This record gives sequence, structure tokens and C-alpha cells, in this order.
Amino acid sequence: MTWGLAFAVGCATGILSGFGVGGGTLLLIYLTAFAGLPQQEAQGINLIYFLPAALTALPSHMKHHFVDWKAVIPAVIAGLIFSGLAAWFSNGLDMTLLRKIFGVFLLIVGISELFPRATSNRKEIPTEKRS
Amino acid sequence: MSEENRKRRAALLAGGAAGLVNGFFGGGGGMVLVPLFIRRCKLCQQNAFASSVAVILPLCVLSASIYLYHGNLNLATAAPYLAGGLVGGLIGGKIFHRVSMVWLRRLFALLILYGAFRSLCA
Repeated sequence: MTWGLAFAVGCATGILSGFGVGGGTLLLIYLTAFAGLPQQEAQGINLIYFLPAALTALPSHMKHHFVDWKAVIPAVIAGLIFSGLAAWFSNGLDMTLLRKIFGVFLLIVGISELFPRATSNRKEIPTEKRS
Repeated sequence: MSEENRKRRAALLAGGAAGLVNGFFGGGGGMVLVPLFIRRCKLCQQNAFASSVAVILPLCVLSASIYLYHGNLNLATAAPYLAGGLVGGLIGGKIFHRVSMVWLRRLFALLILYGAFRSLCA
């Protein structure tokens, strides 16, 4: 039963992860708020969960030429350095503090998603969409 | 500075910021990367989303190994989520080009705010 529920949740957030709109953030909320896992353990699961979700979604994205490698490659180089440092630092932190910081981060992301700035409204115009 | 260089520099900054968030919070890097890709690197919306998947993947591999090393990754607990992610990612990739992002993002924002509330008030 719990296995089935975990599978269903992973599948639902996996669709969003495949889109790239933060299925991982949702999974983190589920793992901490509903499954009751400690923050760091939830983060560990979330990180490894992204591997199968991204690996299965990427071939479709590449087939449709949605992946812009000229932006991806420099972003990966810088991202690897900073994510390594941040992951190392985060593992030594007090869990309750980490959870509060995470809450503030979610608050900022949630508000900026709900009320997008004028510049980001442009991308919702259908004419900019690729056919 | 040429347009090419400008884009490369913006992508370096965007990737660095996403890396910080992704390593620190064990996820959510895409939430930082997608808006930066659109605003700073001038990618169109669909390219920004799809490219962010390609960037976050290697970042997650590195961070996950660090969490594993610190004993904060329980593979047995993770297994069903991995299996679900595999199926979900496959579906997500297949239907991505047909999805309108507007309502999806609004629903997503509400769920995120609920998570913020739970994390801050726990």
C-alpha cells in the first residue's frame, strides 16, 4: 500500500519533473509534510529520484530540439561547482533551521510564480510558442 | 561583447545560482534556472524548461552522491519514488510539447505556497 502510494506520487511529480517545472519541489513537500521524513533524507530521495525522471524525459526534449546546448553546457559547469559546495554545506546543518530556510525559499518561489513580473508575461503569448 | 559571449556568461551565472539552490535544498534548481534562462539567456519558454532538465540532471548526480556519502540517502525508501519518476518522466517528455504552461504554473504556485506554510509553521 505505502509502496503503491509512493509509486503514484513519484509518477505524478515525475510528469512535472519531465516538464522541468519543479516536480522535485512538490515531491520534497510531500516527503516532509505528508510522509513525515526528516528534511535531509527527503532531499536525498528527491535528488536521486530526478535521475530516472530526467533520463526518460530528455530523449523526447532532444528529439523536439528543445534543448539549447549553448546554454546548457556553461550552466552545467558552473552548476556542478556550486551544487557540490552547497550539498556539502547543507548536510552539516541543523535540520529545523534547514526546514525554515526551505520554507522561506518556497514562499519566494510561490509568490513569484503566482504573480509573474511584466517581463515574464511575454512568454505566455501563444505566437511565441513553437509549433 | 558578442551575443554569443553574453549568452554564455548569463548561462554560467544561471547555472551557478541553480547549483546553489539544488545542492542546498536537494531540489528546486529548475525553479531558479527556468526564469533565468528566459530572462537572461533569452531562451523561449519551452527551450528553457527542457534545457533545465538537462542541466539539473548532472547536478543531481553529484549532490545525490554527497548525500549518500553523508548517510542522508536511504535507497530502500527511495526505490518506489524512483520507479514512479521513471514512468512520470516518460509521460512528461512525451506530452510536453502539447502542454499549455499557464494554468499548470498557477496550480503549481499554490501548491508551493502550501508547502511554504507547512515548512514554516511545522
